[in-house]
Amino acid sequence: MNRRIGKLALILFALYIILFAQLNLVQVGRKASLDGDSRNTRQTVKNFNDPRGDIVTSDGVVIATSIASEPGDRFDWQRTYPEGDTYTAITGYFTFDFGASGVEKTENDVLAGRTTTQRINGIGALFSGRDVTGDVEVTIDSRIQEAAKAALDGREGTVVVLEPATGAVKAMYSWPTFDTNLVADHDAEKAAAAFEYLDAAPGKPLLANAYQERYMPGSTFKIITTAAALDVGLIDDTTIWAEESEFLPPQTTDPIQNYGGKVCGGDLVEVFRRSCNTPFARTALALGPEAMVDAATRFGIGDRIPIDLPAPVASEFGNVDYFEQNLPLLGIGGFGQGNTTMVPLHVAMVAASVANGGVMMRPHVVAATSDQDGRTLRRTAPTPWRTPMTTSTAERLTSLMVDVVNNGTASCCLRLSSGVQAAAKTGTAQLNMAGEPERSHAWIVAFAPAQAPRYAIVVMLKGTNAEISEGTGGTLAGPIAGRVLDIALGL
Amino acid sequence: MSFVADRRRATELSLVIFAGLITAAAYTLASLGKNSVIPPRILPFLAALLLVLVSAHIVVRLLAPGADSTLLPVAALLNGLGYVMIARLSERLAGLQTTWTLIGVLAFTITLLVVRRVNDLARFKWSFFGVGAGLLLLPMVPGLGFSSGGARIWVSIGPVNFQPGEFAKIALALFFAAYLAESRELIKNGTWRVGRFLLPEPRDLLPLLGAWAFSVVLMVGQKDLGSSLLFFTLFIVMVWIATEKAAFMSIGLALFALSAVAAYFLFDHVQTRVSIWLDPWQSYRGRGYQIAQSMFALGSGGIGGTGLGLGDPTRIPEAKNDFIFAAIGEELGLFGATAILIAFLLIIGAGLRTAMRARRDFAKLLAIGLTTIVGVQAFIIIGGVIRVVPLTGITLPFVSYGGSSLVANYVLLALLLRISDNTAKRLGEAPDQMSVTERFQAGRARRKVARSGVVE
Repeated sequence: MNRRIGKLALILFALYIILFAQLNLVQVGRKASLDGDSRNTRQTVKNFNDPRGDIVTSDGVVIATSIASEPGDRFDWQRTYPEGDTYTAITGYFTFDFGASGVEKTENDVLAGRTTTQRINGIGALFSGRDVTGDVEVTIDSRIQEAAKAALDGREGTVVVLEPATGAVKAMYSWPTFDTNLVADHDAEKAAAAFEYLDAAPGKPLLANAYQERYMPGSTFKIITTAAALDVGLIDDTTIWAEESEFLPPQTTDPIQNYGGKVCGGDLVEVFRRSCNTPFARTALALGPEAMVDAATRFGIGDRIPIDLPAPVASEFGNVDYFEQNLPLLGIGGFGQGNTTMVPLHVAMVAASVANGGVMMRPHVVAATSDQDGRTLRRTAPTPWRTPMTTSTAERLTSLMVDVVNNGTASCCLRLSSGVQAAAKTGTAQLNMAGEPERSHAWIVAFAPAQAPRYAIVVMLKGTNAEISEGTGGTLAGPIAGRVLDIALGL
Repeated sequence: MSFVADRRRATELSLVIFAGLITAAAYTLASLGKNSVIPPRILPFLAALLLVLVSAHIVVRLLAPGADSTLLPVAALLNGLGYVMIARLSERLAGLQTTWTLIGVLAFTITLLVVRRVNDLARFKWSFFGVGAGLLLLPMVPGLGFSSGGARIWVSIGPVNFQPGEFAKIALALFFAAYLAESRELIKNGTWRVGRFLLPEPRDLLPLLGAWAFSVVLMVGQKDLGSSLLFFTLFIVMVWIATEKAAFMSIGLALFALSAVAAYFLFDHVQTRVSIWLDPWQSYRGRGYQIAQSMFALGSGGIGGTGLGLGDPTRIPEAKNDFIFAAIGEELGLFGATAILIAFLLIIGAGLRTAMRARRDFAKLLAIGLTTIVGVQAFIIIGGVIRVVPLTGITLPFVSYGGSSLVANYVLLALLLRISDNTAKRLGEAPDQMSVTERFQAGRARRKVARSGVVE
């Protein structure tokens, strides 16, 4: 029987080897996916019972911090957002029941003191009893952010301010938004009620509209069409467009019209300043589907915005095959109507790339991270993302956009009180069909000072009911941009 | 003169103390991790722990001096680590587990005291059969048995609840060992001529079918898949080794496979178990929750574990019991979990070594049976917790919380030590001197003789 016993030993040994193999698979192989499972609340509970660092603006305002909970609370620390709803799009929330968003999510390891560097440095803290945490400094300037919030003043829309040369986001505010403290409440029922309400609320306040939503860009898109045509030499200062009120593109009987059926034409300065539609439809069609889609791709359309925040979306233009079949849509796409949609932040990046000599920088909100002793862990270095146009095209566009401010659709409202020269392009994205009450997104995208740009800004007002003309965007959004730029440039 | 036995006992003593120190260290760490305090009564705890362990060692020294030196320390380590985990989960259960451990050690002592020569037990094979079968069926008696967690494996007599299955498996191992030792030649060679084949007599095969029938009854009547599987594996292994014929293993496996497939199609709970095993995530909010939490726990443990007292094992349902392995995997990591696997392999190794060394068939088969019980039971529940096999509710020997399981496993351990000791005596590794009770009985006989005045 002893030989069989030997075999039995081998069989049992083999069974335990299987156990050991599976144990390795689960505890080592699948560790990351198990830890990352949204239903796994283990890590969250740990996070909630550990201290957590602060998020501060570039000028030192604390916008997220942790305070010790009241006795009897279900967690040891309460996450609070001292500025209420002002920085929701930046900080995001850090909740037990609904996970995390914003910087709270992307920089979770730093805030919780869990990066490798912090762990190693933290070994000393183990004995001194100090908490190992980390702080995040964001690029946002509280004065510009507050200015954006005040200027928007409860209207539905978005304001984003960028530094063209670095891609640093100086302000990013949307309405509707919400007070992050509501969903961070440790009372699960209260938090759930708030979350459900926000989830169902119109205007999608839970999404950061500035980089997680896209809207029809209207005439602001003419910057892209113009850049594409200038780059390939299709148009120049001598190009003249015929004075016309409408233009019939191929494949249709439905003509493309200027705003209000106005007669519009002339040279590039003239049609850009007045924001005629037909010249840009003609230009887009002359470039053809391939060149237009190429240009859109060069500007980053079709790619997720490369911002250091969770779940950004991508702007959309269309593909070559589609436009081959639907040339009229390419025509109206040339001035930002039809199927074209853009992320507000992306529109700001387009203006910023003009301001930055044709180089589009990666937008970022995290300036630097540091450990509990203030030692810098990582500082975000400005990095180029795309080079959508040549320097000379950028210079040409700058002067075109200056003219928009001085003599064009933005002349109403972007003459800065400081006397600084701004450059801008307005947009009025018509949402209604013919015969319906008029509704539009009102846009302005600008940068200043025009010759040595410090800030690029986009203002978008969502679904306004004003009567539509080529100046609607400038009239509605322009003053908001003006007020924010005045404050920002005064710093 | 120096015996091998003396060296064994010295080894056992140092290992047992080592196990006690590991347990006390783990207990301290768990308390530090959970409450950031060194347990106030750590020294009395350590003293009591060592007292119990050294007592068990002295019991072995007195009653089974030639026995294997690793079984008791490894069991003590498993029991200790299980205790630390239970104490970390619930103070109240820790108190009860202490009581169960003491009763377990007592049962261990009584077993060694009562069973002097393991071969004597072979005589009682039909009694063991009766007791084993009776215990197994007890939970199905209306009024006595009750279900908990889906399986009807509990019996309530007055204030005492227990799982008779834990004891039944020992009784049945005793019965199988005795039965097979007696008739293994008959079954092996066959005396019943059918055409060109020599088959075993139907009479000798009856218990085979009986065992299969039992496992089916368990599966159907008590929804106790784990015990059914364990019991049947035990039986197949013993028959296979006794007859040295792989055919019996094949037939047995085929029978079990058949009934398993039938059960799958006939019973919802079997289907549920299997579907949860294949994909616990699908029914995360339902029956798959346990396994999913077990996976999360193991994942969060990773290689080194969260550290004792620093994990979150209370999220695993039944962490103290069926899922204690997941709790260990979380807080002690892959290292700790592997240590538990190795501990069971050590028990298996020592048990099978005991079987190999044993001279008589009965002792040999009994050692195989008892070792298989521990080894396979641990495999079934660990495999269930980490999703190697479908989960079946069954305890992890020596580690899980529970009186029946702990006491039964200490009895099982005592029997293994007894077999090992008997062999050692026979091989001259231990002095064949009279044991304490024998000396006591001899003294009594002498006095009786003296009183009666009979002179040789």
